[in-house]
Amino acid sequence: MSKTLRELWDKCAESFSDKPAVRWIENKDIKEKSYKELDTNIVKIRKGISAQGLSNTHIALLGISSVRWVEAYFGVITGKNTAVPIDAALAPADIIDLLNRSDTQGLFIDPRFAALVPHIRQHCPKVKKLWTLADEAIDGTQTVSDLMADGEGSEDVAAPQEDDVAMIIYTSGTTGKSKGVMLLQKNLFTNVEALAIGPKPGVVFMSVLPVHHAYCLVMDWLQGFQMGAVLCINDSLLHIVKNLSVFKPHVMLMVPLMIETIYKRLRSAGAKMTPEEVRQKIFGGNLKRIYTGGAHLDPYYIDEFAKYDVLVLEGYGMSECSPVISSNTESHYKAGSVGKPLPNVKIKFSESGEILVHGSSVMTGYYNMEKETEETLKDGWLHTGDKGYMDEDGFLYINGRVKNLIILSNGENISPEEIETKIALAPIVSEVIVTGDDNALTARIFPEPEAAASMSKDELKAALQQILDEYNKEQPTYRQLSRLIIRKNPFLKTSTRKIIRAKVDTDE
Amino acid sequence: MEERFKELAAQYCTIDAKDITNDMTFRDDLGFSSLDLMTFLGDLEDEFDTEFELGDDEQKLSNMRTVGDAIEFLKSYID
Repeated sequence: MSKTLRELWDKCAESFSDKPAVRWIENKDIKEKSYKELDTNIVKIRKGISAQGLSNTHIALLGISSVRWVEAYFGVITGKNTAVPIDAALAPADIIDLLNRSDTQGLFIDPRFAALVPHIRQHCPKVKKLWTLADEAIDGTQTVSDLMADGEGSEDVAAPQEDDVAMIIYTSGTTGKSKGVMLLQKNLFTNVEALAIGPKPGVVFMSVLPVHHAYCLVMDWLQGFQMGAVLCINDSLLHIVKNLSVFKPHVMLMVPLMIETIYKRLRSAGAKMTPEEVRQKIFGGNLKRIYTGGAHLDPYYIDEFAKYDVLVLEGYGMSECSPVISSNTESHYKAGSVGKPLPNVKIKFSESGEILVHGSSVMTGYYNMEKETEETLKDGWLHTGDKGYMDEDGFLYINGRVKNLIILSNGENISPEEIETKIALAPIVSEVIVTGDDNALTARIFPEPEAAASMSKDELKAALQQILDEYNKEQPTYRQLSRLIIRKNPFLKTSTRKIIRAKVDTDE
Repeated sequence: MEERFKELAAQYCTIDAKDITNDMTFRDDLGFSSLDLMTFLGDLEDEFDTEFELGDDEQKLSNMRTVGDAIEFLKSYID
């Protein structure tokens, strides 16, 4: 048996054929597709891509979670191409940059991003084909139905090899540029295999995380399908609690921010209702397990959710590891830890306590970034940038970071340098540091002394706020700068004139 | 309408509905996270039987700063 996603998917399609695979809301109705129906479209899409002359190339997906997105994604990864899932919330210039840097030649695009198509046509010369993820094509694109029709009657595409790159997934870089993590077919396959949850046909998942994230793609979709689960798509962040009652999931994957929000509802409802009423009203009645990762979760929430018979299982991972490195399970569980490493993963610690990972899920490198690859992968060991330790029972704990990334409780990793280089372009800004406080980003700015001296305090504040507003306008919510601190003194620096980040609030 | 609005908002904070004023900010005064605000807006949709348009509007929602901003936004849908 080859360790490819074609192998994984074909087995799902065969084993769970008539069982429901996906449910979603469309015009207030719940729609459903079986594994067989999904498979029919997946095969047609990969044949269509091949018929249009794209093989051994990169195909990006731009959109929010939808059954069409998922079919297109599986159409790519079960064939001879590499999928490049892109965060649709990014600024248009960043999306164009990623399409160019990833050498994307084909793009599936959700109709809500139709306004980007002329820009992509103009600025991404390598993108030859665009397909709209809807029944009606955006101007200058084809529909997925057109694509499928082109493949009709042709032979199926050969299966990928274990060492083919299945996916390039972009993650925040500390050098100001996001990095394309190259994950091989076998990396993703063995991550799902090592999770070893086993088939449970009919178990209901509700997918609430952004579909372009490795955590969502592997833990919800690949793992869910491997189990024969029904994947229910949450249609909006506004509707998570409502949709828990609509879909009544047994299992969910969440980032800590979501657990914190649901807890607030529990706290309020718990004062007025019995635990069973809360289970029904807040959790939809069937929820048993929540997997969480992406950021640290206070163990307090685990105890609070346990009162309603909902087990919160924290894990640890990163895109570079496909992504799960360790996870608590029902049988091996310690609150506050991130569980035991998966069986296909070895962990050791550097002298400074950094967690190093080796194993079959570890990426092959960053796309077209040799220097960054060499810095991260040394002698086959991935340097995670996180510090931690293991207890006597083999449970892993995280207690700090080596790299300079801000981890928000929605699981987004923010590279402060990436934002600082943009803000520092304003002539009025002398020095800027971005920090994460209470789950939001703060810009700490030391203004140019001359400019500052020529303005009143209010004028200076307004001028700096305007710079932040300009930046925020094009950014997704989680990357916006929501607070401004104006420093009276320059930042403290090392002897090599680098700002000491650990002391950015000194002498403010 | 404002009274019910504030009762729903109070689910996400430790401030009583009666003490919530229109000039309070969601983030700093009420301690809402960005997701609390989104979920709260979902509650408003149910309560007032309306549907906020997504897309560009979603950006507008997340930039809503004060309780007064959100009340005005809601009014624009239910009036």
